[in-house]
Amino acid sequence: MRIVTHWLRTIVALPLLVLALVSGPSAAADTVNVYSIWPENWARPMFEEFEKATGIKVNFVRFSSGEALARVIAEKSNPRVDVLFGGPVETFAAGINEGLFEPYKPTSFAKLPERFREASGQWTAIADDPLVFMTNDKFLKENNLKAPASWDDLLAAPYKNMLQMADARTSGTAVTRIFSILEVNGRDENRAFAYMKKLRPNVQLYTKSGGGGTLPVGLGQAGGGIFFIVDALDTKAKGYDVTISFPKEGIGTAAEGIALIKGAKNPELGKKLIDWATSPAMQNQFAKYKINFVPAHPEVALEPSLAAVIKGANIFPIDAAYAGANRKHVVERWVAEVLNP
Amino acid sequence: MRRDPAVAVAVVALWAMLLLFVAYPLATLLGRVLFDQNAFTTAGIVAILTDRNQIRAFWNSLLLALLVGGGGTIIGFLFAFTAARSRLPRWLLTAIDAAVLLPLVSPPFTTAIAMIFSFGPRGLLTYELLGLKGVTVYGLTSTLSSEILTYFPIAYLTLRPLLAAIDSNLEGMALSLGASRWRVFRTVTLPLCIPGLANAFLLLFAASLADFATPLILAGNNFPVLPTQAYLQITGLFDLRGGAALSFMLLVPALAVFLLQRYWVSQRFYVTVTGKGAGQAPFDSISPAARGMLLSACALVAATIVYFYALLLYASLVQALGANHTLTLRHYRVIFTEGLRVIGDTLIIAGLAMPLGGLYGILLGYLVARKQFVGRRAMELVSMINYALPGTIVGIAYLIAFNDPPIELTGTALIIIACYVFRYGATGVRATVALLQQIDKSLEEASQSLGAGSGTTFRRVTLPLILPAFFAGLGVVFIRSMTAISATIFLVSISWTLITVKILENITELSLGPAAAYSVLVVVIVFVVIALIGRGLRWFRAPGSLPVTSMFGG
Amino acid sequence: MATEAIGVHVDGVSKRFSHRVKGEIYAARDVRLDVAPGEFLTLLGPSGCGKTTTLRMIAGFEQPDAGSIRLGGQDVTGLPANQRNIGFVFQNYALFPHLSVFDNVAYGLQVRGQPAAAIAKSVGDVLALVGLTGYEHQFSGQLSGGEQQRVALARAIVIRPRVLLFDEPLSNLDAKLRVQMRTEIRDLQRRLAITTIYVTHDQEEAMAVSDRIAVMSQGSVVQEGTAEDLYYRPASEFVATFVGRVNLVPGRVIERSGNTVTVAALGTTIHADTGHSAVTSGAAVKLVMRPEVLELVDVAVGAFRADVISRTFLGEKTEYLLRCGDIELQCVRHNSGAGANAAIREGSAVGLHVAASAMAVLPEPTR
Repeated sequence: MRIVTHWLRTIVALPLLVLALVSGPSAAADTVNVYSIWPENWARPMFEEFEKATGIKVNFVRFSSGEALARVIAEKSNPRVDVLFGGPVETFAAGINEGLFEPYKPTSFAKLPERFREASGQWTAIADDPLVFMTNDKFLKENNLKAPASWDDLLAAPYKNMLQMADARTSGTAVTRIFSILEVNGRDENRAFAYMKKLRPNVQLYTKSGGGGTLPVGLGQAGGGIFFIVDALDTKAKGYDVTISFPKEGIGTAAEGIALIKGAKNPELGKKLIDWATSPAMQNQFAKYKINFVPAHPEVALEPSLAAVIKGANIFPIDAAYAGANRKHVVERWVAEVLNP
Repeated sequence: MRRDPAVAVAVVALWAMLLLFVAYPLATLLGRVLFDQNAFTTAGIVAILTDRNQIRAFWNSLLLALLVGGGGTIIGFLFAFTAARSRLPRWLLTAIDAAVLLPLVSPPFTTAIAMIFSFGPRGLLTYELLGLKGVTVYGLTSTLSSEILTYFPIAYLTLRPLLAAIDSNLEGMALSLGASRWRVFRTVTLPLCIPGLANAFLLLFAASLADFATPLILAGNNFPVLPTQAYLQITGLFDLRGGAALSFMLLVPALAVFLLQRYWVSQRFYVTVTGKGAGQAPFDSISPAARGMLLSACALVAATIVYFYALLLYASLVQALGANHTLTLRHYRVIFTEGLRVIGDTLIIAGLAMPLGGLYGILLGYLVARKQFVGRRAMELVSMINYALPGTIVGIAYLIAFNDPPIELTGTALIIIACYVFRYGATGVRATVALLQQIDKSLEEASQSLGAGSGTTFRRVTLPLILPAFFAGLGVVFIRSMTAISATIFLVSISWTLITVKILENITELSLGPAAAYSVLVVVIVFVVIALIGRGLRWFRAPGSLPVTSMFGG
Repeated sequence: MATEAIGVHVDGVSKRFSHRVKGEIYAARDVRLDVAPGEFLTLLGPSGCGKTTTLRMIAGFEQPDAGSIRLGGQDVTGLPANQRNIGFVFQNYALFPHLSVFDNVAYGLQVRGQPAAAIAKSVGDVLALVGLTGYEHQFSGQLSGGEQQRVALARAIVIRPRVLLFDEPLSNLDAKLRVQMRTEIRDLQRRLAITTIYVTHDQEEAMAVSDRIAVMSQGSVVQEGTAEDLYYRPASEFVATFVGRVNLVPGRVIERSGNTVTVAALGTTIHADTGHSAVTSGAAVKLVMRPEVLELVDVAVGAFRADVISRTFLGEKTEYLLRCGDIELQCVRHNSGAGANAAIREGSAVGLHVAASAMAVLPEPTR
């Protein structure tokens, strides 16, 4: 029984150890804390490059756009991070409504097109990300189909219950998709919704995240879907046989943003990261790490293979003002009429 | 006894901790739901709670929980009955135990992932093997199957000791009175098991009700359930209040089940599980044909589980499942380089939560079962709250409550550890209470009369006797610390993150290889630790103590 | 090994419980006991009479709602059990299942912080005393009931308690072992001269071991005295019927003279002891007539006569069921050899004789 006693003492000593181990986020002078919405395999090399360039360490954790935003909201009164990195601008638009950001105009601010920056500097774009159609090669062959080249192609019978695309409640990809459909229908909501309702029987699953359907399409579990080009090209790069195509009527593109958190503990370091990320310094690295975002900074050249993919595609930006004003009711209408008919 | 200072100190300390880590976060959450800018309002909640879709999700949740409870209990009973009555060779029993434990010790969505691969339009089983096309994998059926496979081990673990403890003389008696084997089963064995079956059903019901990861992946669009809706409400629509309100909708059935289980079923056990084991039946209580059928049914389920996990292992060892099946250790390289910090964080947190949770479990269990003090029942009830609540609620409550001074814990490991201790330590509490009910009070009185104070008595008499409960508590807290996601997805931070969160992230990012590799790692770690705990238990084993695994379910 | 014996004084102790059906009930009600140093007192009574509760209050396992308990000169009412220095032997022995016999017995000494060598010696001595030398490394599960009982006893006495308390210690043993163990307990208590309080519901066991017996009923002590006093001079019908077999014969007091009364009963006049009652002439009473005090004599010689209804031969004794008027009487006679009392058979008439000193009277309770 002496063993038990001895062992018990060890347990009692543990809480002390806990106190020793428990520590909050680092507030070291040379570290900036970040929530990244970009997946780790893209964010990590960028931040390593940043540290190489500036000597500033980036302490980051990855969340999906919804999780990251929810967390920043919850921590509003006592922010844990300095910068929100990546993610579609509509996430940032939601953040502005919650008063989460500290306006900051980075050095490249003036050089960016208007749609790549919030007027007061609440967010700035670091990349652009067009939507694409992605289809499984085997599926196309078995059904004697060509890669869809029109929104209406997706209504064809073989696609019944074989499409996967994102859920508008959770995914910026989906919101961009819906506004694309609105645009190609001349912003006629009734026509656009009529199309989406016609498409509904062909949708096997509305996924929670924007890229959620890419793997099923890659595997052939689904025949095709609508995704951001980064996710689609990533699927192709993993070795899945998929085809990327664009509708002739056009398809939307959404900017990826970065923002300084209001009340950040290390605002100066955060601003340095924003300066770097919005400049060619970062965006020139995309090609090196096979990150298939379209750079936002006009001085950064598009990587040739990516350029080849989008060559000739009819891609249009989503009007931020129009989308911002209509987002809420459009999503609500989508939930009511399309998701739960 | 009343003026025992050691008891008083322990009671005050536990109350302080329960108030801080159970009552305070919940109150904060409730406040956030009911107050908008310091003004009381129910407008937002009413809108959410009267939404047609949310109400549908609520009923879906209940339906799913009902079916999982029923199906899981049946399969669990099948396994328990086979294990207890079929006179299986030892190695086969061990094999069954191992297969059954697999789903229990893995992150909750691992079976869900394997299901997606196996079924569906191009599923390995439905398409490649059976040539079926156009099969839909999303919806009630697959969610149900996945949850049953994940949770039936709980039923198995609670029913098996019960069946083993049924005095086989009762069955022998009925048989000698001329009843057929089937009649004996129907009229003796089964009725004796009814409280155990009810108990298992309620445990599974609660587990399914709180599960958000499986439906997140498998439920699809036509079968929304409440925990997932609450999660989406918060992470998708950035609606913390709405999500909290939805979580509170779950509270009603969750608490109802908990109270039913606690105060109704537990008082109706005909058989005391002493663990001494009335042992093997002295006669063949099942016919060879029935034995064959039982074994085949179990083998089928076990084979499915093994297949799923083999698939998981395979996915972790190939470049990209479904596209490039070249064998590689790349994914393991990734998790042991980039993921090393996460693995370290998880092990530190689980390693700390485990002893703390175990200690908390037996201390609180001992006090409420053995000592008289004001608020004893209340303490027991409060200690169960975090356990009975869906993890999503607990996670959000912690996040809100501990973000600001005076108690600023967000971003520390302590907040995750506290969440685990006060959520999963409850299993230890219940195991301790159950065990103490079987240990005569006179043992402690004997110690007292021999001059030992309550501290010494606890340490030298009670503790050694309730060590099985302590180890069970350790095991459960460790397993959950390694596998839980619903609460902790909200609590991970810049400084501390967890493997499960990493797995889910990798799944949503479609990095299936690393996700599978992480899952395999978790399973291996948990198995090793559970084996060590089992060994530790044998080391300290008191005669007549319960087997440790039988408590994981409770 | 003996320590100086001390007395135990239980003064007006009460303990209430709330009962689901009966509401507030007294488990013990104003219990008063005085146990002399070195005395062996037994609390005897049916289950639920409060004897165990009283014992547990003396041990400190329960707190009385009123009254006080003194050990020697010390008031221990509020003192925790572990500071009372009392040896307690439980009904189920309460041996620590995770400890060996040695560790069980050594436990109390270890708690007291005695050096290992001294503990080993004391444990060895006490195990020898209870006849368990060589059992040191066994576990309780490996012992027989009697052996477990001895370990429990050894564990209780090794700490040299001021008082030794037994809670129905023999009830889990078979009949033969029970007789043997009660003798051992009695001998040990005499040898160690430890003040002892013993709880049992078995009146024979109580009579066999005790110096004095306190009979309890419904939470109260109803009579205290030696075994013989309780048996032949019960203070109430309850005691009369609870302790031994008895014939209670209704009658009326004709005359009282000192400690003797003349009672009209069974169609005749019978002389009896007043016992503990203060009856006067004319009072309705019951005669306490133990079966063995009825002497069977010739019809002509007997003080009164009766008919033999049945006769049961039991070896050392023969039991008779007799009828006298409408009253049935039990009678037990020791057999002196084959053929003795052969004349007394079913259907025959017998004469009966009872010595006045062998009977007491109980006042008929007034309704």
